[in-house]
Amino acid sequence: MAQPLIRSGGALGALFALAFGVACSGDDGPTEPATNNCPAAAGATVANAMTVLGCGNFKPARTTAEIAVRGTLAYTSTWGNASTAGSVFYIWDVAGNTPALLDSVKVDNARTLGDIAVTDDGAYLVVATEIQSGSILVYSLANPRQPQLVTRFTNAETTAGVHTAEIGRVNGKLYAFLCVDPGGSPAKIVIVDLSNPASPQQVYSQFIGTPFVHDTFVRDGILFLALWNSGVAIWDIGGGGKGGSPAAPVELGRVQTANGEVHNIWWFKDPSTNSAKYAFIGEEGPGNIGVSALGDIHVVDVSNMASPREVAYYTVPGAGTHNFSMDEASGILYAAYYNGGVRALDVRGDLGTCTDAQKSTPRNQTVAICDLSKMGRELAVGLTDRANPVFVWGVQFLNGSVYASDMLNGIWKLRAASR
Amino acid sequence: MAQAIPVVTHAANTAAGADLTEGYVSQAAVMGRGDLLSGHLRLEATLNGEGLTMARGELSTGAFGEGYVDRRHPHTYLHEIVASGLGAIGPLTYSVSAGRGFAAFGTDDPMVRPFEKYPINHHLSQILERPMVTGAIRFGPAIVDASTFGGDEPASPRSSPSMRRLGDSWSLRATALPLPLVELQGSYARVASPEQREGFGLDQRKRDVSARLISADGGRYLLAEWARTVDRDHGRNEDVFAYESALVEGSLTLRGVSLALRVEQTERPEEERLTDPFRVPRPIVDLAISGITQWRTATVALMLPSPIFGPIRGYPFIEIERTTARARDARSVFDAESFYRSSSQWMFTAGVRLRVGSRHARMGRYGVAVPAGPAIRALGTTDSDASSHHHH
Repeated sequence: MAQPLIRSGGALGALFALAFGVACSGDDGPTEPATNNCPAAAGATVANAMTVLGCGNFKPARTTAEIAVRGTLAYTSTWGNASTAGSVFYIWDVAGNTPALLDSVKVDNARTLGDIAVTDDGAYLVVATEIQSGSILVYSLANPRQPQLVTRFTNAETTAGVHTAEIGRVNGKLYAFLCVDPGGSPAKIVIVDLSNPASPQQVYSQFIGTPFVHDTFVRDGILFLALWNSGVAIWDIGGGGKGGSPAAPVELGRVQTANGEVHNIWWFKDPSTNSAKYAFIGEEGPGNIGVSALGDIHVVDVSNMASPREVAYYTVPGAGTHNFSMDEASGILYAAYYNGGVRALDVRGDLGTCTDAQKSTPRNQTVAICDLSKMGRELAVGLTDRANPVFVWGVQFLNGSVYASDMLNGIWKLRAASR
Repeated sequence: MAQAIPVVTHAANTAAGADLTEGYVSQAAVMGRGDLLSGHLRLEATLNGEGLTMARGELSTGAFGEGYVDRRHPHTYLHEIVASGLGAIGPLTYSVSAGRGFAAFGTDDPMVRPFEKYPINHHLSQILERPMVTGAIRFGPAIVDASTFGGDEPASPRSSPSMRRLGDSWSLRATALPLPLVELQGSYARVASPEQREGFGLDQRKRDVSARLISADGGRYLLAEWARTVDRDHGRNEDVFAYESALVEGSLTLRGVSLALRVEQTERPEEERLTDPFRVPRPIVDLAISGITQWRTATVALMLPSPIFGPIRGYPFIEIERTTARARDARSVFDAESFYRSSSQWMFTAGVRLRVGSRHARMGRYGVAVPAGPAIRALGTTDSDASSHHHH
């Protein structure tokens, strides 16, 4: 179903560039970044602070959600939009230190665009819509500055709301993995064949999650599912050697991480060693958006997928984690940490072996496990030194930079951490 | 007894800044109570028709609960059905009640109080429509009642409680009657996952204290109440959000004309709204809120005598309510002033309380936990209206 794009027009970017950009323009030197419109707090001293290169030249009045970056462009989605205003996603030029707004695209009949992703070949942008009516929109990125709607996929299975839509390739074929909210029926996973993006075909659905399924991670024919209080499930969908496929997954194993509330996953494959021993699990505890959040990062050893086990964790007192990205070549995990900004963790090597002094007991648990903080694995902290509060939803590492979507302020560009 | 309140409400700057005028029949209910076995067995039932007469909810800026926001939700068709066994051992009286109804917690249901519009604190100060078992004892001026019940709130007027959840929550209330018609009350409750029927949502720990005075004829009434509800993440065993309320209300009736005043400060959670700005997702889709808003309200009501006599009485009334709302924490993404397009809101309500039969003086207690006393006259009490049962 084609839908015309409603654009704010290229003039919008120019307008905001005039309004905000003057102070930032012409100053993209890496040593003294221009952050005049998003200054550091007076007297801010964070020993391992990530360098803030810049923030968007436009601070959206809407609440920002997820971010997807490819090349020199970033796409940010929006959350909790007024029904009369519709939803929008923004397109940013991130070539310089200060992300510059290029355009916005309106999406009707959606309150929230909670997830946004670019396919691995850069050909398509997929946007999830949430809370009645749930769908995914597929845009062509033939001109990545002007996405063109190809189709909007929705059916009775997705209408309760698509919380996330992970995009992945399985044996060369493109799929979307939709996590659907509970509505008239329980939460479910819906798998959609996107090999013809103009005509998505649902190939699988299953009620799952207790009570939510909030995200998935797909790599090498293995699908990880974040099942909230049911923990993490690992499915063979074509790469697990158990005969699974996207249309007929086969479960390989499950693990219950401390305190449940499993929200998101990153399965790390270290290119330097080809090791794929660890999956990082985001726990999303209750949060008051803009104010407070809870939830730890749990490290699960998946070397035996039939019997995965939690071996370490990372906690930030008074803050909670959200989405992840990785610089896999450097072995650095970046975690959006809501009111805790951005956290960069060294996750290369053995995370499950530590001294007693490096162990802690996760909240409400009885067994001490390795604590990444005590192990000195925290490399850097971003955005906790700003004058205004932040609430970081998503991060993406790309080419030496880390891009963060901030529900309160829009978009940030930071220099990536180093060892 | 049967009652219904045809009302028209004009709300200025309600949800999404709208000015709306709506009419419906509120509090459509049939209540029955009977004593059997020489007073040792009491049966009470309330059927509520709001699911038919105001399915979209009643315009009530600031109200929240059961997926409705800025509208009061319709109650379940089977609002209350409770059987109580009563007995005595010397000066001590006791009762055991079971069925669907109120847990032993907090103050009277707003349906038996002087205002048509419910206070914002309804979901902080009462626990209702639950499958429950309540035990109560009374000794002189002291009453203690306790309930075990299912924590899940109704999700619609047709909702039946999850029997699997029965017993996952409990409450305890102590009431002292230091003087005739003076009542002091303190309550505590632990409610499991009220917002998530399967039991995986946030739990609540609730407290409520109140002082209530009423004159012998019900013509003067005063209530002061404080309540606090804490949301608790049972997975992490950690308190996460808290909502507090303070309320004072009173009424005075002279020659059949009543004047009532209510002031309230209550905090409520804000959630992502649906396309309908008066609704939020149920079932919930995560454990996040978008802010806590502090509401202040002042409500004045004027009620007139029934101009008609006979079995059907009608008591005309008007209510005017002014509210203000502000974020408890300025960092919240929910900005009340922006959402309501004003820092204050008004509601004007006019209607008629239609009633057949004698109404109950109290609602929210069972068996020997019901203190003696008259009904509040401001609701249009007639001479034939019942006082609550006396227990000595």
